[in-house]
Formats: sequence, structure tokens, C-alpha cells
Amino acid sequence: MEKKAEKENKQEKEGNNLQVYEVGYHIVSDVSIENLPNEVENIKNFLVKEGASIISEELPKMRELAYSIKKTVGGAKRNFDTAYFGWIKFDVGEASIAKIKKFLDENENILRFLLIKTVRENTLFSPKIPVAVLVKEEIRAVKKDSAEKEIKSPISQEELDKTIDKLIAE
Amino acid sequence: MKQCFFSQNNINHIDYKDTEILKKFLNPHARIISKKKTCVTAKNQRKLAMSVKRARFMALLPYVAR
Repeated sequence: MEKKAEKENKQEKEGNNLQVYEVGYHIVSDVSIENLPNEVENIKNFLVKEGASIISEELPKMRELAYSIKKTVGGAKRNFDTAYFGWIKFDVGEASIAKIKKFLDENENILRFLLIKTVRENTLFSPKIPVAVLVKEEIRAVKKDSAEKEIKSPISQEELDKTIDKLIAE
Repeated sequence: MKQCFFSQNNINHIDYKDTEILKKFLNPHARIISKKKTCVTAKNQRKLAMSVKRARFMALLPYVAR
């Protein structure tokens, strides 16, 4: 009897074991850009409600699909060539992953999704954020240079004017 | 002797969203190139195949091209 209880305890513990998951999703292109944050918020709220803590995410962006995907929307089959692709990485107990899957399945605005086990660390080899930061820094540097030049040029012009005046006076 | 791309760059987890990297290991027909040609280690080739298949499912990469 004690052994049984131990086993049950173990199973419960395993059920509560946190595992890192990642869901990649396509939101149908019919959703307007203004409503896009609401859709993402909707998914995230459900995840948090199920006890998940979000590790990282990328907001959905419109991108062309490699092939057209069919989906029945309101009883009619439709082809989609573009969709908003985004992903969320989160950790949650293994027990609630089935509910999350069901929720995503039933969401009409999700064209397709992929739920995978992953690791907490960043797995992207070429993260987009640092590149963007680098580009921004470059732009800033260029702007600074140009600003300095602009400041410099009026002074030099004044000096020029002065020298011309002097020349004229002579 | 050419070395494995993933071992050289210390990539432990091949992400299916890294389509630019995955494309390097596909031929013009979008088939996975054998590890014999790309010199990817067996362990990494298995991970690569998994990532390519995930990317195909998510329509980030085509199943067939041309």
C-alpha cells in the first residue's frame, strides 16, 4: 500500500515537472495588424492561466509561405499563401500541455501551429535583435558624424566671411 | 578536410526557424543533402533532418521545389 502511495506521489511530481516548450504559430492573414496584438495576448493569457511562465517570444510578422495551406473557414475551404508567423517559448507542467494543444487546435485564427519540446537557452543561431541593434548603432554613428559636420561648417563659413571682410578692408 | 558546420560554430540545438542555415543543407529540389557531401556529423545530421522537417511542416521551407 505504501509503495502504491509512493508511486502516485511520484506520478504527481512528474506531472508537475516543468518542461520548456515552444509553440510556433501562423495567424491567418485575414486578421488586421491592429488586431494582431490581441490574438497574441489571447494565446499568452491562456498559457499563463495554465500556469506557464513565458521565457521568450517573437511577435508575429507577415511572411510568405513556402506552399499554400488549406483551411476551412466557416464551412468553406480557403487557400492561404501568406500568414503572420510568431513563436512563444514557455515552461509549464507536463499535465497542462494537452489543454494548451486543444486550445490552439480550436482557435480559428491559427492557421497552423507546432508545439515542441526545447531548451531554455536561445537556440537561434543568428538572432535578429543584435543585428538590428548593430544597424541602429551604425545609423546613430552616421547621424552623429553628419551632425558634427553641420556644426563645423557654419563656424568655418563665419571664419571665411571674417577673412573675406578683412581682405576687403585691406 | 572540411569540418562539420554545426560543430565548428558550437551549435548544440538546431532551430527550425533558422531557415537561412537550413537552406545551406538543401539541394535545388529542396531535398536534404547527405552528410557524406556536407561533412556534418551523424549526430548533427539527425538534428538537422528533424529541424528541416519541422520547417517544412510550418511552410518555412518547401517540401519540393522546381
